Amino acid sequence: MDPAEVEFLAEKEIVKIIPNFSLDKIYLIGGDLGPFNPGLPVQVPVWLALNLKQRQKCRILPPQWMDVDKLEEVREMERKEDSFTPPPSPYYMELTKLLLNHASDNIPKADEIRTLVKDIWDTRIAKLRLSADSFISQQEAHAKLDNLTLMEINTTRSFLLGSLNCMFKLRSNMQPGTSTGKGPDY
Amino acid sequence: MSDALSEDGSEQNDSQEELMTPVELIAKLEEAWLNEKFSPDLLENKSEIVECVMEQLTHMEDNLQRVSKGDMKASVHRMEIDRIRFVLSSYLRSRLQKIEKFFPHVLEKEKSRADGDPSYLSPEEYAFAREYLANTETYLKAVALRHMPPNLQAVDMMKAVPEPCLDSFVFLRVKEQQDNIMVEPETDDQREYVVDLDVGSQHLMRYRTIAPLVSTGAVQLI
Repeated sequence: MDPAEVEFLAEKEIVKIIPNFSLDKIYLIGGDLGPFNPGLPVQVPVWLALNLKQRQKCRILPPQWMDVDKLEEVREMERKEDSFTPPPSPYYMELTKLLLNHASDNIPKADEIRTLVKDIWDTRIAKLRLSADSFISQQEAHAKLDNLTLMEINTTRSFLLGSLNCMFKLRSNMQPGTSTGKGPDY
Repeated sequence: MSDALSEDGSEQNDSQEELMTPVELIAKLEEAWLNEKFSPDLLENKSEIVECVMEQLTHMEDNLQRVSKGDMKASVHRMEIDRIRFVLSSYLRSRLQKIEKFFPHVLEKEKSRADGDPSYLSPEEYAFAREYLANTETYLKAVALRHMPPNLQAVDMMKAVPEPCLDSFVFLRVKEQQDNIMVEPETDDQREYVVDLDVGSQHLMRYRTIAPLVSTGAVQLI
């Protein structure tokens, strides 16, 4: 899956904005939005919030978890634990990138947040690399990855699944009686 | 003043009996899209979802034609239509890719299913698969086979084209609790064991074991 497609899914998350225009309720296929009144917060999906922000029609409020103290706590927890801690949000990486690229003026201490999220990401990816390594070397057949976000899974997806399938093919060819015409594709 | 672009919260779909709101419909489309993208095999055809989504999109586009351009609402609706259209096209595209990759096996599966079972191919996809088979056979005959000695001029498509590998590993998220899912060992010295799948947890395992759960919607491939 493309990282852009993961971002596409992340854009469905809801975020609060403060519009500077007024509009009555919109009835989208995916749900109702609004009504929009200047100065009053309203909840919209990220794709709409970014579009409105680019047209200078709103101000985006940072989500609850995008706060320096909270992220510092998460980072410390992540560094202490060997296993994965619950992420700040299932789409924390994509939302940080999108919101900080387009709306950094609305988010206090944007640079610190960027560094903190990057640290959290690096720690988690390092843990992922270690656990993928042990998964393959111990030839396990099942793994539970509860607290992993889609973006992290997607980073290793093609390599991990590709190598697991390759190893399966090598193993099954060593055993007699495999059916012909069957094989994993690359 | 009524909004020309507004619609009912829940619409009844004529092609099936259950009432599905547009929100649920779009959620189902996205689930079908992700499942189709990540499964190694061609999944059941969700033609009722595709038809309903097309209906919604054409209905919304008709409404947009009637409203003046440059309206704020029109642009928001248009953005949403683009997003839904992307998911729908991506879904249909991954199905076509799999049909092209596994065409003899897909046709065989369709031929051998019982009458009551849901079909794997929509009528258009079936026609596409058959034409693809016919074209490939003609091509192979014209380019290579007719130059071969007479007793080697047949090619068995089922053997020539690799089957989908159901033993591929996939990532999945559990939507309904499942107990006692058998996990088969990789090496000979490991024994098989069972795992329980809790709601909301994510796992990495072989597709073969959980294939029936994907069709019923108990797990979601991610």
